Amino acid sequence: MPLNRDRIGTEYPSYTYEVSREKIREYAAALGETDPRYFSDGDDCVAPPTFAACFTIIKGGQAMFTDAGLGAHPALVHGAQSFEFGDEPLRPGDVVECTPRIADITSKGRNEFLTLEVDCRRQGSGDRAVLSRGTIVFLGSAPQRESTGDAEVSA
Amino acid sequence: MSDLTPGTELPTISQTSNLVTSVMYAGASGDMNPLHYDESFASNVSPTGGIIAHGMYSMGLASRLLTEWAGGPDRVLAVEVRFTKPWPVNSTTTFGGTVLSVEDGVATVELWADNVGGDRVLSGTGRVRA
Repeated sequence: MPLNRDRIGTEYPSYTYEVSREKIREYAAALGETDPRYFSDGDDCVAPPTFAACFTIIKGGQAMFTDAGLGAHPALVHGAQSFEFGDEPLRPGDVVECTPRIADITSKGRNEFLTLEVDCRRQGSGDRAVLSRGTIVFLGSAPQRESTGDAEVSA
Repeated sequence: MSDLTPGTELPTISQTSNLVTSVMYAGASGDMNPLHYDESFASNVSPTGGIIAHGMYSMGLASRLLTEWAGGPDRVLAVEVRFTKPWPVNSTTTFGGTVLSVEDGVATVELWADNVGGDRVLSGTGRVRA
């Protein structure tokens, strides 16, 4: 079953995430980071850029996977990912409000490509903390008509 | 950031993935997909027939390389990657980068990661404040 293209543009409810010192440390350790600021007990503690993965990849995809009307299925791979960062790195105590949105669904061959954007803004100021854009490849579910490159639109 | 001339190569990072790196990344990131640490699960669903590293683990390492070279997370504007092939567990991947251009105070860097088996597992770009 192909994904429901009417869902393009759908915004899911926002969730909040609070950045903590220990989580920064755990994430930095998992990547073998050595910058002492990632492990600091002081005010200079900051998160590595891709710390954003902790609150955008799984949490960001949750609403989409539980949206029965979209038709997401488990035969998938993570095809691509981008992060655009705000002016300041995240620090312990920062709270971000994250809004997931289906930006696009396309197909190529037998596979479908869903772009999930998660717009993460600082609570209070509303400033951009990070914009996450993930491409999830759903294997084998592309509508047949499109898989041939046929421009005809089915009703 | 010592040299911003286009063509400059960033210092590389080599990393071997194993069950410990996979489980640490799973716990840290919250991505508990058993494909990344459970052999019997992976043997049924994995594209390689075995355990593979998280794609986001490889992105994290590519970003670490970029961030170390740039001088810290406050200099990193964006990171964008494609996961081109799986990274099998218990194999080594080398991460590298090349300065592509410097314009209006922003350096664009090509990022790549090559597995010892010959596959390019990741390719992408990073943008940092020059």
